[in-house]
Amino acid sequence: MKPQLTLQTPLELPPEEISNYLKQLWISENEYTSGANTFSLIVWQPAWLEQLLVRNKLINGPITGNLSQEIIGIAKKLILENKLPLSTSLNSQELIKVLHKTASDDKVEDLRGQFFESSISTLNPRRLITLAPTYDKRTKLQTFVSAYCPLGDSSINQPICGDLIVIRGDAESISSKGSDIIENLSMDDLPTWLWWNSSLDDSPSIFDKFSKNARRFIIDTANGQEKRCLDVLMKILNSKKTVNDLNWVRLKSWRESVAMIFDPPSRREILNHISEVDIDIAGNHIIQALFLIAWISDKLDWEILSSEKKSDFVEIEFSRKNGEKIKAIINSIPLGNTSIYPGQVIGLRLISKISEDPKKNTCIILGAESAECMRLEAGGMANMHLIESVVPNYYSSSESNVSKLLASSRGNTSPLFENSIHISSKIFNTIYG
Amino acid sequence: MQPSLSNPLRIGLRQERVISPQSLIIFGASGDLTHRKLIPALFELFLQRRLPSEFAIIGCARRPWTDDVFKEKMKSKLSDKISDNPKEWEIFSNYLFYEPVDLQERKQVKKLASRLSLIDKKQATHGNKTFYLSVSPNYYASGCKALKEAGLIDDPKKSRIVIEKPFGRDYSSARKLNKIVQSCADESQIFRIDHYLGKETVQNILVLRFANTIFEPIWNRNYISNIQITSSETVGVEDRAGYYESSGALRDMLQNHLTQMLAVTAMEPPGKFDPEAIRNEKAKVLQAAKLADEINPWQCCVRGQYGKGGDITSPLNGYRDENGVNPNSTTETYIAAKVFIDNWRWQGVPFYLRTGKRLPKRLGEIVLTFKDVPVHLFESTIINPAPNQLILRIQPNEGATFKFEVKSPGSGMRSRPVQMDFSYDESFGEPSDEGYVRLLADSMLGDPTLFTRNDEVEAAWKLYTPLIELMENTPWKLPTYKYESGTWGPPEADQLLSRDNIFWRRP
Repeated sequence: MKPQLTLQTPLELPPEEISNYLKQLWISENEYTSGANTFSLIVWQPAWLEQLLVRNKLINGPITGNLSQEIIGIAKKLILENKLPLSTSLNSQELIKVLHKTASDDKVEDLRGQFFESSISTLNPRRLITLAPTYDKRTKLQTFVSAYCPLGDSSINQPICGDLIVIRGDAESISSKGSDIIENLSMDDLPTWLWWNSSLDDSPSIFDKFSKNARRFIIDTANGQEKRCLDVLMKILNSKKTVNDLNWVRLKSWRESVAMIFDPPSRREILNHISEVDIDIAGNHIIQALFLIAWISDKLDWEILSSEKKSDFVEIEFSRKNGEKIKAIINSIPLGNTSIYPGQVIGLRLISKISEDPKKNTCIILGAESAECMRLEAGGMANMHLIESVVPNYYSSSESNVSKLLASSRGNTSPLFENSIHISSKIFNTIYG
Repeated sequence: MQPSLSNPLRIGLRQERVISPQSLIIFGASGDLTHRKLIPALFELFLQRRLPSEFAIIGCARRPWTDDVFKEKMKSKLSDKISDNPKEWEIFSNYLFYEPVDLQERKQVKKLASRLSLIDKKQATHGNKTFYLSVSPNYYASGCKALKEAGLIDDPKKSRIVIEKPFGRDYSSARKLNKIVQSCADESQIFRIDHYLGKETVQNILVLRFANTIFEPIWNRNYISNIQITSSETVGVEDRAGYYESSGALRDMLQNHLTQMLAVTAMEPPGKFDPEAIRNEKAKVLQAAKLADEINPWQCCVRGQYGKGGDITSPLNGYRDENGVNPNSTTETYIAAKVFIDNWRWQGVPFYLRTGKRLPKRLGEIVLTFKDVPVHLFESTIINPAPNQLILRIQPNEGATFKFEVKSPGSGMRSRPVQMDFSYDESFGEPSDEGYVRLLADSMLGDPTLFTRNDEVEAAWKLYTPLIELMENTPWKLPTYKYESGTWGPPEADQLLSRDNIFWRRP
């Protein structure tokens, strides 16, 4: 979906006047207009990469906060040109450092908080607050307000309206004044989500500050160091707050595809004899693979026995209720192309051994591409009964995934995800202490 | 780990929509439908964790029961289902309330309104209410008026009415009823239920047609020679004689369930999966449907009535011998009709619909028979190559079968029919929900996709108006032929097709 721009020019107001201004605005509107009874969304949207690309004149402004195909293309090229590892994330500090060296100090137009995907606007957020830190560290805090009433194609006569607030300034000013502004603008009767649209390594003190008051989080654990990501997840869970993770959301097609294999009752027995699991990931960020093996082990009631980091893979041993052992391996596969989301699962192999006769055993292979399936077929798998399927990793923007989450969320952490976090964290801590 | 019957990897994966806090008020709570279908469906939703904690079910009927009596009655009627989940039932029963109400008595409805406010506060249901009219169709209009007068359905965002079939007795009564109901509530608040649309397999017709590229290009008059829609029951009238005598197979099954299957099978693709877009297409196709011979409707319809049957060890009564049935009754327990759809897609393709009681099998199916190949190049092992058929099985053994010709093994080049099968059981291994589970959830979610709109109901009645007029004014022109219990209806029904050189499929 194409991003939508607000129809109204945002009005710059001092922070202390915003709350009153919005109250007046809704009262003065005609009787047929009302504020949407939906949710509030607070977005931390630094868009560091985009800011630096504009300052380096590698793309034209204005800054919108949307990760466009153009930005992705240029960033991938920069990773290659600067000989950074192919596993470098688009949100990584390495890439930012490269761009920082040559960034200009020119003023650039900044429309963050005014551009938002229609997939989100169609959900009619009641209040969208964008925290837009500037790369320039001497920017004073500015606040902008606008209202919007998206015109839907339904027959509802009454427009459902919301408001947009942009808090722009350098990270320090947002950190010192932002949480007070947000507190004044909070709507107690509506659920509020904090979407950290950046790496979890970015501005941890600001994250901690805003986390104190937030009850519902959207994060992406593909961005950030693995330990930091799992610590954030566990901290949120331990504080009984709700968390949704885009890295878990992107795993959905894998979970569905694996489950689908075992829908026919005739295949259920295979599950009771799985002895080996191999997960291939693009790059070396293992969080998504941990989520996958954690979900499988949770559903099949396997206990973790041990986990160990070896040269270029992670080995985990589980046991079934009957004492049988299962070996799981997470392999980092170097790809010839940079991936937008580091550590994405690209292949899964389950080997189920019922008999000494290989023909009676089953090998299930799921690959993001045919080539991956073929790779996993190696090692005599063709002698077994093979079940194969291709699970393409289609690119889906964070905005689109967030809108799906907001549309379907029950306001609590998915129990499947919660269990996977606990198991993933246990595995990770066994490896790294 | 879960029992081996379920796929352990599937558990928790499906994200069902969440029902918002609300009260469900069932009028006719002492009736059959409540304990046979509605409460079991609600208990199933509870077991699936789809009911919010802020919820209430208020049974209403004339009987002077209390909350405790209602709970006890439901418990004893549902004992089979509860025995596996006694603890869950204890929690679920906290949702159950009862209020004696006669919908014709203004004072009592007012008293109900006060009770609902108290329950609303107690259960924190935020003023959201769904009223389920499981009462005699004679009370639909007055029931809606009573709710309107009591101010219970004033807020279109917070209140809905679910109305059971039959909606009217004919075109004019359906129109009249629609007018009354719509004067009490907005169309968006009205949910006319047809439990066939709640069946997974009926919904699957939409997915099969519109989620695959291979079917839609051949789903038309260029490739399809005829379509048969069958819904058969092995049981007789049982204890429903009172209702059935005034209804018959046309009003009980043909006008609603079979016609809805016809609409889903024949509708154009909607622009998007949106309740109004789907209902627009269904209404359009029903408006284009007409009896094959509107001038001489007796030529395109056969009525039947079951006679005695069975064997010495288990003899079966004829319809006229059943309890509560007039010994001279001419009510049809079987009906077959031929229908055309006057549009570009279906011009000239006959749709044969049949339904009946005391037939050999309980089943529902839609059979699309494709046109013959232009030239028969190969000799067939049977007399002629069988035309391709796509059979959509609604119940039982839900699934689909595609029949096509292949080379018969051997040195010659002879063809023979074979079939490809898709079975819900073999593919998914889990029973699908009862239609009422889906429809009750949808009505409480405010999703009208699987409910019939006013124009659909009216178009469905209009389609059969020539038959209804004939049955009422000159019934001798459309006689009810006797058929033996346990057979596939009267032989005249076979002739309805054999005139077109077509035969009913023998399932």
